[in-house]
Amino acid sequence: MIKITHVSKEFKLTKKSRNEMGEAYRNAKTIKAVDDVSFECPPGRVFGLLGPNGAGKTTTLRMVATMLKPTSGNITVAGYDTQIDPQKVRERIGFMTGQTALYDRLTPNEMVRYIADLQGMDVTEFKSRRDQLFDVLDMHDFANRRIARLSTGMKQKTSIARTIIHNPEVIIFDEPTVGLDVMTSRRIIELIRTCREEGKTILFSTHRMEEVKLLCDDMAIIHQGRLFFCGKFEDFESQMTFDSFEDEFIHMTAEA
Amino acid sequence: MNQFITIFKKELKDILRDRRTIIMMIIVPMVITPMLIVGMLKIQRMQLEKAKAKEIRVAFLGKENAPQLYQIFEEGEKIVLIDNFPVDSITASIASEEIDGAVIVHSDFPAYIESDRQGKIEVYFKSSEAYGSAIKRMTDLIESYDEQIVEERIDRLSLDKDLFDAVAIIEMDVSSAQERIGKIAGGYLPYMFILFSFMGAMYPGIDLGAGEKERGTLETLLSSPANRLQIVLGKLGVVSLSGIISALIAILGIYVAIQMIEDIPADMLEVILDMLGFRIIITILTLVIPIAIFFAAVVLSISIYARSFKEAQSIIGPANMIIIIPVLIGLLPGIELNAKTALVPILNVSLASKDLLAGTINPFHLVEVYLSLFLLAGIAVWGCVKWFNREETLFRS
Repeated sequence: MIKITHVSKEFKLTKKSRNEMGEAYRNAKTIKAVDDVSFECPPGRVFGLLGPNGAGKTTTLRMVATMLKPTSGNITVAGYDTQIDPQKVRERIGFMTGQTALYDRLTPNEMVRYIADLQGMDVTEFKSRRDQLFDVLDMHDFANRRIARLSTGMKQKTSIARTIIHNPEVIIFDEPTVGLDVMTSRRIIELIRTCREEGKTILFSTHRMEEVKLLCDDMAIIHQGRLFFCGKFEDFESQMTFDSFEDEFIHMTAEA
Repeated sequence: MNQFITIFKKELKDILRDRRTIIMMIIVPMVITPMLIVGMLKIQRMQLEKAKAKEIRVAFLGKENAPQLYQIFEEGEKIVLIDNFPVDSITASIASEEIDGAVIVHSDFPAYIESDRQGKIEVYFKSSEAYGSAIKRMTDLIESYDEQIVEERIDRLSLDKDLFDAVAIIEMDVSSAQERIGKIAGGYLPYMFILFSFMGAMYPGIDLGAGEKERGTLETLLSSPANRLQIVLGKLGVVSLSGIISALIAILGIYVAIQMIEDIPADMLEVILDMLGFRIIITILTLVIPIAIFFAAVVLSISIYARSFKEAQSIIGPANMIIIIPVLIGLLPGIELNAKTALVPILNVSLASKDLLAGTINPFHLVEVYLSLFLLAGIAVWGCVKWFNREETLFRS
């Protein structure tokens, strides 16, 4: 379970970024990347955070993963407050982004072992989980090859394995399919579905409406740091005033 | 603690598989150090031999005014004498290196010599010439001619030679061979290992900070149960170790270089090897450790701030020049280790190593050096940890 309550995040602006952002920010000292956001992601469901680039999706996910501290509000993950018990939170999450985020000079085997060691898994538990994941993802053939020499698909499988090696109860996906081909994207979609079947809490960010339609049970639309919709996917669908999701989304954010 | 060890082990494995790191950390100090020492000596010797072996062309004008000198020049090795050279073209011919020098003995020279006065001989040369040796070879011959004349005058006038050599200086050097060599070589050794402890830390530092950002693995690491302190210490440990290994290999390189120089006199070799004994090397190493930790913390702080490997490289690269300045100051004569210089980072390592090698270290100053270095390293590590905890640094865009 992830519970986000009235969370805001401000970043200090440097002189350079003030100049780059134009006249509106000329005298601003801070910028609000996330503004009073609240939502809940229950276990066994996929929660989609939908928004254009720069909407505040990544900042929200980074706060959930304890990488950033909220300026105000609070977040609990699996019952632990991200600011009071950040380590307990990190022990219970898996974080995956569009980048494969792997160490080129390690092998897939070493990569997942590294994460398992950081997660404090014992050797027997690790070996059995690794073998199970390597079987499912068909990774045995390249498990001991340097990651730098692997194909994109192989890297993506390794990335999946390292995200879930410790069997986390919460998984955060930050635009995991960006820049991936159809086959690899489908593998990620399958992974998300499997995780849902296993009763995990899934928070998934994307800017692609079709992915939300394909996967999400619940969703929120975020734009310029604020939520425009938060609820069940079916509710969003029933409230639509336009025929396509894209048009509805554009209409909704344009009104802002 | 477990996570710190996990990160340390992984980072060590990772950088040891990086070709750039291996080159900078092991190959460069192992090859460059002996090459620098042996190469410089060889080049110097080759230049000297070349200068000696070079045949010089000397225009000799007025041989009838100093036939004895002319004969000395004729007998001189590798000298081609040219008579009747047009006096007007001497300067231009030397400038264009058509000839290497000229000797002009004017017609009034014999009269001066015969009347026991001082005769003047003009010598033309070009000091900027390739080996600069023509002037020395010409003046050496003229000086031997001068000695002949003086001796003849002393004999003829039945004078005592001591009349012209009133005081004889007998030098009594009380410094030991170790002190002499230590003071000379001692300046260059710290130059080597300070430089290498920085260079060895450079690539791993960039890779473990900016490289991690570039690969996108920083988020993986930050979302793991390891806390920021464990992450920084794990990385710092590896970067410092790389610097220390690099400095150690540079010292090893010096041993190799000494073995490669063929004609070191046996007694000097003994002194040098004594000087580089286990105890001294270990003491110097204890000076290198805090400075390597300091370098590692600085490199890692810059690296974690940079957005990319390239940006980090462009900031850290010129830092090479900055760290070398205090080392070079340590090479200057008259700069000694004292209560004040013992507090100046890098310079104090340079000066303390010099004194350690010469065997003239003041224990109080050494303690001061250690205190200041450990304090410096401590501040740098603290700063690095603080820096790593800043969201603006980690997620700078």
